[in-house]
Parts: sequence; C-alpha cells; structure tokens
Amino acid sequence: MTERRRIFNEPGYLLHQRAYSETSLLLDVFSRNYGRMTLVAKGVKRKKSRTRGILVPFQPLIVAWSGRGEVKTMTSAESLVLRKKLQGERLFCGYYINELILRMLHRNDPHETLFGAYESALEGLVRESDLERTLRIFEKRLLQELGYGLHLSTDTLTGAAIEPSARYRYVAETGPVLDNGEEHAGVVLHGESLQALHDEEDFSALHRRELKRLTRAALDRHLEGRPLHSRELFSRLFPQENEQAALGKSQAIG
Amino acid sequence: MPDEHAIGRLKEALRRLPGVGPRTAQRIAFHMLERDREGARLLAEALMVAAERVTHCGRCNNFSEAELCRICSSGKRNGDLLCVVETPADLDTIEQAGAYSGLYLVLMGHISPLDGIGPDQLAVELLLLNINEYPVKEVILATNLTVEGEATADYLSGLLESRDVVISRLARGVPVGGELEYMDSNTLNQAFLERRTLHRG
Repeated sequence: MTERRRIFNEPGYLLHQRAYSETSLLLDVFSRNYGRMTLVAKGVKRKKSRTRGILVPFQPLIVAWSGRGEVKTMTSAESLVLRKKLQGERLFCGYYINELILRMLHRNDPHETLFGAYESALEGLVRESDLERTLRIFEKRLLQELGYGLHLSTDTLTGAAIEPSARYRYVAETGPVLDNGEEHAGVVLHGESLQALHDEEDFSALHRRELKRLTRAALDRHLEGRPLHSRELFSRLFPQENEQAALGKSQAIG
Repeated sequence: MPDEHAIGRLKEALRRLPGVGPRTAQRIAFHMLERDREGARLLAEALMVAAERVTHCGRCNNFSEAELCRICSSGKRNGDLLCVVETPADLDTIEQAGAYSGLYLVLMGHISPLDGIGPDQLAVELLLLNINEYPVKEVILATNLTVEGEATADYLSGLLESRDVVISRLARGVPVGGELEYMDSNTLNQAFLERRTLHRG
C-alpha cells in the first residue's frame, strides 16, 4: 500500500518498543484489522505526554495512524480499559507470545482471527492456573493462522480417527501416524494428548509434557534456527527443579 | 587523496554517536574543520582521556575513574540504604534532586526478554555482593516504571526475598504539580490503588 491513508479507532496492543530520537519511540503494534504494524510515536517521551503512560505491552489500546510506506506515524493512542496485569512467570509468558508474533508475522498482513486468539491468551495468562494450556492453544491457533496448522484429529496415513491410548509419531510435514517403533524422526506422543489440544480440554501432566515438545518442534521449523530470547530467559529465570519434574510439573515455555 | 580519506574517517566515526546519521555527521565534520579546529582538538582529547580512564566503580558499578567512585568513597553517605537504578543517568537525576543520601547500585540496563537482555547482562552479582559484604538494611528498587523496569524489580525482589533486608519500591502516582484532568489512565488508576491515608478517624 503506497497511498497515504489515515486509520482511526483501531484496536491494538503494543508488542515491543525502541527509543527513536530524543523524544520519540518506534513501536511494534499488533492491530486487529491491519496485523503487525511499525509506528513512530513522536514526542511521547516528553514530560507532558499523556500517551507515554499507556504505551506499554498488554494494555488494550485504540490507535490512530497515518502515512505511507512501511513505517507509519502514530497520530493518537488511547486506552479504554485497564491493562492486563501480568507478574512473574505470567509476565514472561506474555513476553513470549509477543515475541512469537514479532517473529512469525509479516508486517502489514491482517490477521483478525489471530488477534482474537491473542486477546484470549492474555486473558488466560491473567486468570487461568494452567499457563501451559493457554500457551499451547495460542501456539496452535498461531500455526493454524499462518497456514502451518497441526493435524490433530486423524492418522494422516490411514485416515482413521485418533485413538486416545495409542502412541503416535508426529512428523512435521506429514502429521501423526501410528508409532511402529521403526522410525526416528518427529515427536512421539499419545493420542489423548492430540485430542486434548484439538478439543482444548483440561491438560493432564502427560498432555502438558508431550504437547510442549510437539508445538516447540512445529514452531522451531519456522523460526529459521534463531532462538527465541524470551524462551531462553524463561528457562534461566524459572529453572525446573528435579522435584517438580518428578511430580510431572514442568515449565510453561522452556 | 589522503585528505579526503581523513574526512571520510571522521564522518564514519561521528556516525557512531546515537541519533547521528550521514547528513548530521557531515554537518558536524565540516563545521569542526571550517570553524572550530580548537574545539575539534578539545573534543578529540576529551574522548581519548575518557575512553582510557573511565571504568566501573567496584562497588556500585557506576562510571568512575578511581576504583571506588566519589559517592561510594565518601564517608558522608548513609550505608543503610542501597538504591538500585538502571543507568548512570538515573543516578545523576536522583543526585540532582538531592533528597536521597544513601548509596547506589547501577544495573546498566533492565531485563528485556525481546532484546535478549537477562539478569546475566546486568550487575546482579555485584548487588548480591553489596548485600553480603556491607551492612545494607534497605534496598530501594528505583528501576523505571516501565514494563521492563517492573519486570526487573520483580525479579530482584524475588532474588532478595530470603535475605535479611527491607525491600522497597519507588512510589508511583500523581506527579507534583499534576492536574488530574490531564493524567493518563494507568497513572491515575495506580494512584488510587496506592493512595495514602492522612487521618484515621
């Protein structure tokens, strides 16, 4: 899009920001109808700016911008509701989903469905006790939206419905096939885990463990070998203790 | 030609300054050469001396020419208080304000997962060393009130939880001279959450 356009009243979230000259910021915003945008917010670092206090991640915003080219100029930002308050482990999970969006989405590609998934993931990080389930569901929807959707309901070789108690081998381009113990590629997991992610039901410890490996392998294929900073930091800040591992508890991201 | 080579190098070097692009670099270079040779020599010398002499204070991590900086080596500061800030600029601002008389610890940044900055890139080890070796009674977490600053404060308070020190955080709310009408909603909401009792009836 090269013509000059003005956009008003666009719902969005700040993903990340960088300093840009003395008083301005360069913002990465995830907007409902226009996808991931890069905006210059001029003068917001000045003392009298009312906008500065609301330009924070996880704050639902109403943004306006204008301009042509890759980087637009933000003309206003307002907040109508309170910020989603995330702390500790939950905050770092929030950073993780922001980084996923920054890394996986192209600029200026609309992803309306994913915007809904992002909002419900933030809601989940505020309210839910099972953070891993919240993240896995978001990752599933993200892959789906980008055209790399996971196959979760049928054995892709035979077309048969997934058996809860059977063991499957999930190979990246193919999908789940019954594990005959001869192959080595892919992730091995139980049918019930695939079903739990498909139906978005409550996760057991087994589901959490197996599905983390599944989505991680699927995402890594599209991250071009560059690790996610937030994932690395998470595993250092919230190290998994042996005791917890024995109890089947595991980290949400790492 | 050797002359043009020197100008080119100067422009390249000037572009290392934050916020200076090719055009500004050219303007500064020509100004210095045309109108202010003396200034150019002063600047070059000051940069050389600073780059060679300035290191980090062994106790607070602020920039310092000596092993201990002016504040850490002064006998007049209150050693009970340790104020943790993100940058030397934050420290200077607090010093200029004048109300704080304790010691400092400069982290040199904040935790920022999306930029790959974690506790290992900050002076966290030195903070722990300060608490172990000096009689610190209270640690004031004066990181910025941004999400990254909050994440850093959050992390540090978790880290210091088991130590025998009071941990506090800078208050937040309506700034002095602030008019409510012009306040952003996050600040105003926070001011209500952290309101102060004046009189218990």
